[in-house]
Amino acid sequence: MKKSRGLGAYCAALYAFLYAPLIVMTVYSFNDAHRNVVWRGFTFKWYLTMARDADLMRALTTSLELAACAAAIAAALGLLASYALVRHRPFRGREGYAALLDAPLMIPEVALGVGLLSFLVRAGFELDFGALACAHALICLPYAVAAVRARLASSGGSQLEEAAMDLGASEWRAFLKVTLPLAMPAIVSGALLAFTVSFEDFVASFFLAGVGITTLPIKVYSMLKFGVTPEINALSVALLSSTFVLLGLNAWLSARAGADAA
Amino acid sequence: MLEKALSRLLAGKRPAASHLLLAPAALWLLLFLLIPALGLVALSFAKNGPYGEILWRLSLDNYRRAFDPRYVPVLLRTLFFAGGTTVVCLLLGYPLAYFLSFRAGRRRGALIIALMVPFWTSALVAFYSWIVILGKEGLLNRALLRYRLISSPLALLYTPFSVLLGLVYFYLPFTVLPLYASLEKVPRSLVEAAYDLGATRWTAFLKVTLPLSLPGVVAGALLTFVPCLGDFLTAELLGGPRYYLLGNLISNQFLMAQDWPFGAALTVLLLAGLVAGLWGYRRWEAAA
Amino acid sequence: MATRVTRRDFLKAAVLAPLAPALLSACRRAGSADEVNFYNWSDYIGKSTLPDFTKATGIAVNYDLFADEEEMFAKIRAGARGYDLIVVGDYLIPRFQILNLIEPVPPGALRNMGNLAARFRHPAYDPDETTVPYLWGTTGIAYNRKTLKRKPTSWRDLWDPRYKNRISMLDNVRDCLSVAMQLLGIPETTHAPADFAKVRALLLQQKPLVKMYSSSSYLNSLVAGEIDLAMTWSGDLFQAARDNPDLDYVLPKEGTYMWVDCLALVRGARHRANALRLIDYLLEPKVAAQNADFVRYATPNAAAAPFTDPVLRRDPRVYPPPRQMDALMMHHVLDPEQTETWNQIWADVKVS
Repeated sequence: MKKSRGLGAYCAALYAFLYAPLIVMTVYSFNDAHRNVVWRGFTFKWYLTMARDADLMRALTTSLELAACAAAIAAALGLLASYALVRHRPFRGREGYAALLDAPLMIPEVALGVGLLSFLVRAGFELDFGALACAHALICLPYAVAAVRARLASSGGSQLEEAAMDLGASEWRAFLKVTLPLAMPAIVSGALLAFTVSFEDFVASFFLAGVGITTLPIKVYSMLKFGVTPEINALSVALLSSTFVLLGLNAWLSARAGADAA
Repeated sequence: MLEKALSRLLAGKRPAASHLLLAPAALWLLLFLLIPALGLVALSFAKNGPYGEILWRLSLDNYRRAFDPRYVPVLLRTLFFAGGTTVVCLLLGYPLAYFLSFRAGRRRGALIIALMVPFWTSALVAFYSWIVILGKEGLLNRALLRYRLISSPLALLYTPFSVLLGLVYFYLPFTVLPLYASLEKVPRSLVEAAYDLGATRWTAFLKVTLPLSLPGVVAGALLTFVPCLGDFLTAELLGGPRYYLLGNLISNQFLMAQDWPFGAALTVLLLAGLVAGLWGYRRWEAAA
Repeated sequence: MATRVTRRDFLKAAVLAPLAPALLSACRRAGSADEVNFYNWSDYIGKSTLPDFTKATGIAVNYDLFADEEEMFAKIRAGARGYDLIVVGDYLIPRFQILNLIEPVPPGALRNMGNLAARFRHPAYDPDETTVPYLWGTTGIAYNRKTLKRKPTSWRDLWDPRYKNRISMLDNVRDCLSVAMQLLGIPETTHAPADFAKVRALLLQQKPLVKMYSSSSYLNSLVAGEIDLAMTWSGDLFQAARDNPDLDYVLPKEGTYMWVDCLALVRGARHRANALRLIDYLLEPKVAAQNADFVRYATPNAAAAPFTDPVLRRDPRVYPPPRQMDALMMHHVLDPEQTETWNQIWADVKVS
């Protein structure tokens, strides 16, 4: 038990490391200065500015929509691909597919951005939201695949699936009733990872964003020169707190569902 | 009818079914990765005009330039930082992944999401927060000075330390999640069996859990090491002029020097190196 | 119960996912014909300038942002289309022209062109006036009055070993090489390999002292006191000085460079007429004055002078007095061979 406590303390310290900049960010969102590198005094004004800033809100919605689309596509494609890679009997070209699915990670994003932009323009694609979402899905795909593959490979799942089929279920039924629920946490964490990657992406987005599409990172990076204001901190804090509220709500709901079932 | 077709697709008795399931992802990769990458390969053999116009004259000049000895330090520095980040992330991340998988219990889901959430804030804001913490008159220095642990401010920013810290900070979750996924796959019954046979926690861990989680270690290392090779923002914002990395070199060709053919050649070489490394690893793994 | 709902939702999502981008972009394509797409730095225009323009003309302005003009150039060059009007630094204009990326503003198309001061008409970087000057500034030295005992006076101070690790240089070929040449007394027109060797040596000699090469994030380090001495562009520093009043700006005694940001029409602009109307609007004296006061750069608009903020107007750092003004140099337009050498030297300095 003692060791476990030590491990717990270690993990708490690691989370503290991950959240340290966020705590600083939160404190500086109340900073009465134009740049968030020096402390000038306490103010609430950035939260009001943020809420009234139509451009910033538009950038936020664009980024959220984009990340949701990219994560959904990446998760869907990743699930199908992982299923074939893991569950199907070995076939020719399997290794090739697996390597290819990791490839988007390897190419530096600047090169990918320039290459994709040149291609899309030459192929006559409109540089709209759809094109950007497709590109984001590509960047997110390896993360989704990595998460889902690992889960599907777990031996427990396929045994249960076989048991279901022995009981007369078709592959499709077994997939729906057994595989999918078992893989769901992995799909969700893969999608989450994809969402994060897309939401954060600046380099590829900068190249591929067409007219009128300004994502949050593009907006923030363009503020680099004249100062990233605490407004961005305020927005991040708002985003962070709403995430935690949702998480809490989810935990509470599932706890209640558990209580109902019992 | 539909159910039967879907079932046949999922059963994968024939390779065609596998190819069909992989087709959407493959199509995506073909359209948005392979074709643009081929464009880059073609570009790498072109010549850059003085104003950044591309002259389509087949030449190997860009590759010849890339092998100039002056880039050797850049390559070594990049390998050092990417390798260092990977090792630190694995060492820091493994216990966390272990905790999440074996000890976290019902809090697991929330803890995993909590691992990702910091990255929903702009990287730039996080970088600035690190600057506020690590700066000459930053929070850390002030705290250390106040408690008399140091007598003059430490130079933390724009040092190898701050570059490594930034890289570890940003890639840690990408190491932890695959580690966690592979630890989840370790059959609990095997660990129990080891205990039943009288193994201590350590032996059980060393003989059962660790070897079984090695695929996760490899995946985590890969997801950290490879993107680190192309990272340029960390070195740009937390590093100084002396920590110029491969990612900076490549992005500079595309963004500042406007020498796309040379940038493309560097990218092709990086990709070739990675593919060769991975291929070698797979061979070694298959042989072992 | 809970799982079944999730599962069905999930399947629905999986089927709809690939369609979502198409649907969403269809929803987004609701732009009116009466618009103009303006691609510019963030915060590089007066707060009410664009809404006022829309009110006056009924033309909506889509204001898209870039973080760096070299990046913007790379993007336009790779084929990004749709922008009508961009803001470009003078030294980039020949490159845009050679790659055929901008369209000349037709002569006589602008009513307010005559408002520009004479020295901004037919400049060396664009003698045919294919672009229109927007705002201008100088390259100089920013320093922290509190931490630096002595006010810097010369470019030489950026090479002073006493300031080791407290110096930042602009991450820009033109500015760094020009300054090194100025210190060495070498004209920018040189082609001599011996001259270039000296320039390279001087910049390499400086590198161990330099904390960062940066064109934007150094401003934060300056505000935070991480660096005390920086090569900077005038207006950027004035904006930063709002957050740290100890920051000041000097024009080095050797003389320095001025640069001009220009408005340019992108080739194939779909809203050409609207873009021209916007340029003309930005040239109106009162609009130009408001604009310049907000961003703290100088306006090239002579007719706007009476309307600018008198404090800024009298500030010699923003509008240098005539004698200093005449000493300001414009960057020489480099020929292809020079461009290649300059880029090569700069790349060597960065990599070494």
